[in-house]
Amino acid sequence: MNQSASTRKESDRLASKSWLKSLFARPEIGPIGVMLLLFGMLGYFSIPAGEFSLNPFAGEGFNALGIRNNLRVIAQLGIIALGAGLLIIAGEFDLSIGSMIGFAGACMAMVLRWGFAIVIPYISFEGGMHVEFFTLIHITDISPIGAITITMCFTLFFGWLQGYIVVRSGLPSFIVTLGGLFFLRGLTEVSLRAFNHRPDQTKGATTVTELPDIKNIIDVPGHGEMERDAAKALSEADLMAILKDVPADTIASLTERLQYTAQRVADAKTQIMAAKGVKPLERALENAIESGNTVMADTIRNKIETFVVTPTVPKEITDIDVARAYIDTIGSARPVANFFGGDILQPIFDFLYFPVDWNTNNFGNQFAPGLYSCVMIWVILALLCYVVLSRTQAGNWIYSTGGNLQAAKANGVPTDRVKISLFVFSAFCATIFATCQVFEVNTADAAKGNLKELEAIAAAVIGGIVMTGGFGTVVGIIVGAFIFGLAKEAFFYIPGIDGSFYRVFLGLVIIASALLNENIRKRIMGAL
Amino acid sequence: MAANTTEPLIETKGLVKNFGSFTALNGVDLQVFPGEVHALLGDNGAGKSTLIKILSGVFKPTEGEIFVEGEKVSFTSPRDATGAGIGTVYQDLALNALTSVTRNFFLGREMTHFPGPFGILKTAEMDRIATEEMAKIGINVADPNQPVGTMSGGQRQTLAIARAIYFGAKVLILDEPTSALGQKQQMEVLKTIRKVQQFGDIAIILITHNEIHARLIADRFTFLSLGEVIGQGTSKDLEGDDIKRLMAGGAEIGDLAKELAV
Repeated sequence: MNQSASTRKESDRLASKSWLKSLFARPEIGPIGVMLLLFGMLGYFSIPAGEFSLNPFAGEGFNALGIRNNLRVIAQLGIIALGAGLLIIAGEFDLSIGSMIGFAGACMAMVLRWGFAIVIPYISFEGGMHVEFFTLIHITDISPIGAITITMCFTLFFGWLQGYIVVRSGLPSFIVTLGGLFFLRGLTEVSLRAFNHRPDQTKGATTVTELPDIKNIIDVPGHGEMERDAAKALSEADLMAILKDVPADTIASLTERLQYTAQRVADAKTQIMAAKGVKPLERALENAIESGNTVMADTIRNKIETFVVTPTVPKEITDIDVARAYIDTIGSARPVANFFGGDILQPIFDFLYFPVDWNTNNFGNQFAPGLYSCVMIWVILALLCYVVLSRTQAGNWIYSTGGNLQAAKANGVPTDRVKISLFVFSAFCATIFATCQVFEVNTADAAKGNLKELEAIAAAVIGGIVMTGGFGTVVGIIVGAFIFGLAKEAFFYIPGIDGSFYRVFLGLVIIASALLNENIRKRIMGAL
Repeated sequence: MAANTTEPLIETKGLVKNFGSFTALNGVDLQVFPGEVHALLGDNGAGKSTLIKILSGVFKPTEGEIFVEGEKVSFTSPRDATGAGIGTVYQDLALNALTSVTRNFFLGREMTHFPGPFGILKTAEMDRIATEEMAKIGINVADPNQPVGTMSGGQRQTLAIARAIYFGAKVLILDEPTSALGQKQQMEVLKTIRKVQQFGDIAIILITHNEIHARLIADRFTFLSLGEVIGQGTSKDLEGDDIKRLMAGGAEIGDLAKELAV
C-alpha cells in the first residue's frame, strides 16, 4: 500500500479554492452574467439607429427618464420578489401576492376616500323581517398613515391566516394560497362594486379615481394646505403675495435656474427649427441628384450650407414664474404619502440638469425630477432582508426550515412560527407595493397586481432560489428582479422585433436558471 | 476500560410502554455508567427504538422510572431530555445538508450579539468553536463554512456527536451510527466514539445491529427481545457466541439451527 495514501485525511479531499474559483462557485454568478448582458443590450439597442457607441450606457434606456422608469419597474418587482423569495427559501409558496396587491390598493384608496367604518348587520322584525345595519364607528378624513395601518391590519391578518392554515393542516401552500388568490381578487371586486356605488349607476366601478394628489399637498404661506397644482394656479396677486416673504437669495437662485431653463428651451427650439428647415432641402437635393440635374443640386447644396435660422429669444422670466418655481420647492405636508409615492434624489437630478446639462430632454426642459420612492423602499427592504437572512439567527432558521424541516424541528427551531412569519412578510411586501402604487398615481383598480405573484416567483428563481427550499440569497433575488425588469425594457428597444419576445426570453431564462439551481443544489447535497 | 462502580449516570427501573393493547416494552432495567459505551442490541421490533424514544423524551413511559445522576426525572418533550443532559443523535442526524458546518452545529442555539431571533450571529466565534469541538473528537474540518452536503457520512456523524456534547449532553444516545456508512467511515465513527469514551465523564448508549462493532467498542451490553431484557453483562462476562445468540433473540436461534439442520 502506498504510504502517502494512508496519511491522507478526509478533510484534504475538500480542495482549497482560489478566490477566482470561489467567485465562480457563487450561485449568483450566472444571473449576474445575464444581468450584464441585458445591461449591454438595453444600452446598445436603445441608441438611435445608425449610431454606434462602445459605452453600454449610451442609449436612451439609460438617459435620466429611462433610468427613472426602468428602476421603477425593477424596484416594484424587487419588493414583492423579496417576500416571495424568502418564503420559497423556507419551503413554501405564496400565489396570493398579486391579489393581495389589488386588495391592499383598493382597501387603502377606499379608506382614504370614504373613511373607515365598523358596521354590524342584524335582523330587525319591525315592519317585516329584514336586515338592518348598525354603524358602530365611522371615521372619515383618515390620514395616509391611518389608511396604511388599517390596510396592513387586513393584509397581514390574511397572510397570517394563510400561513396558519398551511402549517396546521399540512396542505401544500400552493393550494391554500391559490384559494387566497381567487378569494382576495373576488373580495376586492365585490367590495369596490358595493362601496363605489353612485346613485345613477346600477353597478359600482371597480376603480377608485377621485383621490386627491396627497403627496403633493403642501403648506402654502397665507393659504394653508392645498395641492401643488392648485397653488400654482392661484391668481397673480396671490402668487406675488407669496413671493414677498421669500428670501432674496432664494429668489436669485430660482431666477438663475429659470433663466437657464429658458435658454435651454430656446436653444432646443432653434435646433429643431433648423433641422426642420434643412430636411426638405435635403430631400430636394436627393431628387436633384437622382434626376441628374447638377446645377440644381449645387444650388441646393449651397442653400443647405448657408441655411440659417434666427435663434429663438429666451423667454423673459417674470416674478410669477419665480413664484411658481418657488411653490415647486415647498416640501410635502404629507410626509408619509410622499415617502411611498413621491420622488427621491431630486437634488441630484436637479444638479444633473443645472449645471451639468445631462438630465435634459429634447425640448430643453429637465427630463426626470428624481427616482421613484419605491426604489428607496426596495433598497431599505433588501438591506433588511440581507441582514436577516445572512447574519441573524432568524436567517439560519429560515434556511433550515426549508432545507430540512425535520432537522430544524429536532433542533428546536420554531419552524411553524418561521413559516407563518414569512407568509405575513410576503403579505407585507405586497402591501408596500400597493402603497407605493396608490400614492404614486392616486388611483386604485381591482385588476392591479394581476400575475405579479408569478413574476415575483420567476424573479426569485432567476436569482438562484431553489423551489424545494433551503437555498438562495438576497443578492440573488435582487439580481433576479434586475434581470426581469431589464428584459422587459431591453426587448422593447430592439428595432424590428416584437416586444413580446421578452417573454420568450424570460421563459428560457427561467428554465435555464432552474436547471442551474438544481445542479448547484445537488452538488452541495453531495448527490453529484 | 472505565468499568467503574460509581453510581450510574442514567438508570431505568421497570420501564413499561404500551401502545393500546400492544406491549412494546415490558419492564426494562438499564444502567449506564459515565465513561462507558453501553451497547443496546436486539432484533428488529425488540423495543430498542421505543426505549431510546422514552429516554430522549419523545414518548412517555406507561410505567417505570428514569433516574439521571440518581435523581428521578420525567420528560414531557425532547427539550426536557436535552435539558437533563441526554443528547440523542438520530440516524438522519438532524442536519441541513445545504448550509454550513457552523450553521448546523449551532442550529436552533445560535450565538448572537443581542437576544431575540433578529440577533446578529457571532460568526467568527461560532466558526472557531465548531472547528475546535470537532477537532476534540478527531475530525479536522478544512473549512467550517463548507456545506454539510460536501462532508462524508462519518464526518456528519462526528458533527452531530460534537454538537450534542457541546450543548451539554452527559448521556449520548447513538442510534445505529454505523449503518448506511462505508467500511472506512464506520471505522471513523468508531474512533470518534472511542475518543468520547476516553473523556471519561460521558456515557454512551450505542444502538447497533453490528455485533463486531459492539464487541470492538462496548463495555457493557444489554440484549432486548420482544420488549424484555434477555441478557445483560460486561464485555468480560459474555463470550463471543453468547452475543451472537442473544442478538438474534435468544433461544429462537437454536431452534432455527435445528430446523435448518433437518
